[in-house]
Amino acid sequence: MASRKLPLFELLNYTLLTLFALTMIYPFIYILVYSLNDGKDSMLGALYFFPRKFTMDNYAQVFENHRIWQAYKITIMRTLLGTFLHVSLCTMMAYALSKKSLPGRTFFAYYIFLPTIFSAGFIPFFITLQKLHLINTFWVYVIPLLFSFFHIVIIRTFLQGIPEELEESARIDGYGDFQIFLKIILPLSGPVLATISLFIGVTHWNDWFSGAYYVSDKNLIPVQTLLQQMLTEAEALSSSLQRASQEGGQTVNVNLAGSTPESLRMALLVITVFPILCVYPFLQRYFVKGTMLGSVKG
Amino acid sequence: MTASLLWKRIWRHRLFYLFLLPGIVWFFIFSYVPLFGIQVAFRDFRFTGGFTGSPWAGLKYFRQFFDYYLAGDLIRNTLIISAMKLIVGFTMPIVLAILLNEVRSLKFKKTVQTLSYLPYFVSWVVVVTLMQRLLTPYGGPVNDFLVASGAVKDPIQFLNNTTWFYQIIVGSDVWKNIGWNSIIYMAAIAGIDQQLYEAAKIDGAGRFRQIWHVTLPGIRGISVILFILATGSLMSAGFEQLLLLNGPATAAIGSVLDVHVINSGISEGRLSYAAAVGLFQSVIALILILTVNRIARKVSDVSLF
Repeated sequence: MASRKLPLFELLNYTLLTLFALTMIYPFIYILVYSLNDGKDSMLGALYFFPRKFTMDNYAQVFENHRIWQAYKITIMRTLLGTFLHVSLCTMMAYALSKKSLPGRTFFAYYIFLPTIFSAGFIPFFITLQKLHLINTFWVYVIPLLFSFFHIVIIRTFLQGIPEELEESARIDGYGDFQIFLKIILPLSGPVLATISLFIGVTHWNDWFSGAYYVSDKNLIPVQTLLQQMLTEAEALSSSLQRASQEGGQTVNVNLAGSTPESLRMALLVITVFPILCVYPFLQRYFVKGTMLGSVKG
Repeated sequence: MTASLLWKRIWRHRLFYLFLLPGIVWFFIFSYVPLFGIQVAFRDFRFTGGFTGSPWAGLKYFRQFFDYYLAGDLIRNTLIISAMKLIVGFTMPIVLAILLNEVRSLKFKKTVQTLSYLPYFVSWVVVVTLMQRLLTPYGGPVNDFLVASGAVKDPIQFLNNTTWFYQIIVGSDVWKNIGWNSIIYMAAIAGIDQQLYEAAKIDGAGRFRQIWHVTLPGIRGISVILFILATGSLMSAGFEQLLLLNGPATAAIGSVLDVHVINSGISEGRLSYAAAVGLFQSVIALILILTVNRIARKVSDVSLF
């Protein structure tokens, strides 16, 4: 063996990948640290791995804010309802399309595939939403995301892997079509349903665009849109405050404890990211498989 | 098959048609109706008139776009940004997949992989917020590190600045998507016959030569397909990211077609004009994807359709 070359390659590779992994995770660690540190103290800088003046004040203030609670509620509602409906409807459609004996199956498959190549673009879609009076309602979050061609294909591919003998024996036991779907197919589809739930759940959770452009009612805005609004509104304020404290020092009393718009923003960001951070590593096994299926067959 | 037999079959599948029904209606409303609505690009759209009731305007809105003094800039910026993203964003996941494949320790590999997916699961708003916090010249860790290590004397103004704009756009795009996009290559590499590696080793190939002569040819097919698919988005530079990151300071090089469509359409209410710009974008995208597909078929025998 080329004993000299191997360790060098290995060393280089492990170092590179370790650096890479750090780049992926460090921004999140930094935000967490910032959100757990006293806001005014954070403005002094030199904050990297551990909070210097530990405090939960930023979170306390974020959770005191009525607008944030309302936005969080909207996000949770749309994510739960949107995910449930999307997964149910796509699974039903995928199951029907997995039936080889279904007359017209090819036609329906093309019917849902064509829009993925020729899409109309944003404006006709937006006008359609207007015409349906979905603009400025809660349903504008849920209804336009009810179906996805790629998700249907992933589910269908999975369902086609279930042996048909299983259904036949259930039929002999006197099960009808619907009972087979409910009692045989659905319980066996756990992995794929979990994957699709993650995909669409994350889409719902992360969507800020609908909240920013389809909705003007402040009570209907989801957290991501709120974060986006804070991003554009507070950026100017916080950076000028920070500049003053860094350069002048005298104008802002940096010894005063308390939250800043920046530290509140970081706390909001952490609670925005946290739920996803908790979920996705456990579903990794499934979505890796799911993505491969979707990309190869789609 | 006689008609009555077909009806019998259809009737036997009635539950499945019921299952299909919501989807058929949904795709009709949200995909086919907007497709039909493309005609607003050729009409003077009025809300009360709808898709068909508004008067025809011919190519007025297309002309308006090409007469717009910034149209050239918009097209150029879009192409530059998406081409850079295409080149870097296409190669980096392959590099990551190859490096990960060379790792022997399963635990290390799995940890790196899990962390690599993390940014994919957060929104662009979050990514932009993260960048602003990390890159700020006022106590941001990146600048602190650069100054402390002596790489620069004074903190760098990364954001709101034309000097670093493209690097930040491409860098954050790669950061967000690299892990996710590498999944497919990991799968392709896992599918390569191990005997090929054995044979290469016997022939005296080191790690680099094994990568060059076995791994890379092994993922050629899937790479070509993904590259063709990616060219379809050359006319769109990623509107979420640019909507959030582009400001007055970077407008000259950061204004792109997608954002122009949204701004002129929704914010300014010029729906017909925006639809025309959007249609121009989709048509070019379609031509691009067909062209690249044809070239790929000629050059490498791999094609999408």
